[in-house]
Amino acid sequence: MTTTQHNAGGSAGGSSFLARLGNLDRRWIFLAMGLSIAVPTLLKLRFPEYPSPMSKATFDAVESIPEGAPVLLSFDYDPASAAELQPMARALVHHCASRHQKLVFMALWPLGKQQADKTIETVLKPFHPEYKEGVDYVQLGYQSGNEGVIKLMATNIPAQYPTDASGAALKDLPLVAGMRDLSSFKLIASISAGYPGAKEWVQYANGPMPDAFKVVGGSTGVQVSQLLPYYPHQMEGMLVAVKGAAEYEMLVEAKYPIAQPEVIGQGRVRMGPQLVAHLLMIGLIVLGNIAMVAGRSRGGAR
Amino acid sequence: MNASNSNPNSDPNPNSPAPAPKPRYTLLWISLVVLSGSLLVLRAAMAAQGDGGAAAADPAAQSLWTTVGIWTAAILTIGVFSFLYRDNPLYKVCESVLIGVSAAYWMVNGFWTSLVPQLFGKLMPGLVREYALPAMPVSTTPGLDFALACVPLVLGIMLVWRLAPKGGWISVWPIAMIIGVTAGLKLVSSIESDFMAQLGATMRPLVAMNGGFDFWGTIAALVGVVGVLTVLTYFFFSVEHKGAVGKTARVGVWFLMITFGSAFGLTVMGRITLLAQRFEFLFKDWLHIG
Repeated sequence: MTTTQHNAGGSAGGSSFLARLGNLDRRWIFLAMGLSIAVPTLLKLRFPEYPSPMSKATFDAVESIPEGAPVLLSFDYDPASAAELQPMARALVHHCASRHQKLVFMALWPLGKQQADKTIETVLKPFHPEYKEGVDYVQLGYQSGNEGVIKLMATNIPAQYPTDASGAALKDLPLVAGMRDLSSFKLIASISAGYPGAKEWVQYANGPMPDAFKVVGGSTGVQVSQLLPYYPHQMEGMLVAVKGAAEYEMLVEAKYPIAQPEVIGQGRVRMGPQLVAHLLMIGLIVLGNIAMVAGRSRGGAR
Repeated sequence: MNASNSNPNSDPNPNSPAPAPKPRYTLLWISLVVLSGSLLVLRAAMAAQGDGGAAAADPAAQSLWTTVGIWTAAILTIGVFSFLYRDNPLYKVCESVLIGVSAAYWMVNGFWTSLVPQLFGKLMPGLVREYALPAMPVSTTPGLDFALACVPLVLGIMLVWRLAPKGGWISVWPIAMIIGVTAGLKLVSSIESDFMAQLGATMRPLVAMNGGFDFWGTIAALVGVVGVLTVLTYFFFSVEHKGAVGKTARVGVWFLMITFGSAFGLTVMGRITLLAQRFEFLFKDWLHIG
């Protein structure tokens, strides 16, 4: 598609079409891509999802810990990655809350705290009103220090977080008053968009204490290839981008239905445009290559 | 789309046929953009603004500032998309706003999350508690905290010394310390998690048994071992890549290409999700359609 030459002789039919295709203004492709996403978004197209082993393993990891056990949820992303990660964060919180896990929220990214707050407001408070702050869940908030935060928490949580996000001392909050280090948790879930994130949780939490707790992660598509080597030995489960979020939503909703399904349905809604856009892209790649080969044979270039 | 389209003079092959003149779509594109923009603004102006569909049903969710925020976000979104047509002043404004807001945000964030609680809060806790962070916990060892905080204070001053006209070499010392500490932190975790644990994960039976013969498990184990060995061979440069070594390295290249292709595909999926989310915002929060 890159160096197709126009057939000046103007041969008829398919050859002429391929020549024009090679010279196509790129803005037509942008427009087609925009429509391929806008139309399914408007029509709310949904397609069935079949859970992959990694999404199933994440679901099973949460299911395998005792009901009511403490879970650490690290929101290591910001609004720029919320399109991919917020759906899985919502589903994860609903899943944990449905099993009455004690939830401790924290963030290694400055705006991760706001994303966690948003999830608490959208999922925890409306659909699990029995959760009381300080008793059933705690918002620790953000601390600067990247992997240094994890390293200190691995040995001394109160040293890293003397107070929660609202300024209440940890010793005054029943849920975390007795927690010394990360081994107090049964499961650590990092929803991450990069550094610091799930990779650092594996390196600095799971590395020194491989049997103390389970680690699961949710990540953006860009970061997945960095995390795949850790699955399944160092990371029990992994949610791969919006596809993983959609699969996980389906698993969670099947076992723990929610009054308003759309609250944990964003991932599946965003998979509709994915399918159409991917089909368009595959079609364009095939057409582009045909045009390039045809152009070479006509023009004798290279 | 291609170099020859944007600059016909750059054709590397002077003997190739001359490219056809590009159709003049400018009028069509401008009409399309203006018409779509007008329809969008008209629709948005007629819609009740708020947080998604809830706002239309709940007047309490509507407010002047919500409306201003949604319009600002929508105009910035469309401004960024306008680059797809061509570079233009609206895009430049959006780009500058993004850079300016990001720079300011990170500066303020660094000040309030690092400098104030972790440096000033240790050096002058009473003052910081009174004027900046009332919830800052009271330390049981204020003297020790002060002494320890002096270390990063001095190192910080040495670091910014490079801005001074003389004595730039002073900044080399804190940089050396940063590099040393980072290397020390990373070394142990990398050996533990990225080397030893990965070796353990690779050394597994080639014939997988899972209650019986596990065909796909066996295939996965074989692919994993062959992939590791062939890719390592590709990066082994002490032997010339020819003969058996060359063929093995060639297989390694295929594994690498498949890995890069997979990573690229996942990146594309992420970008499409971002675009879908922007459309959701425009349709649902701004235009209230769909």
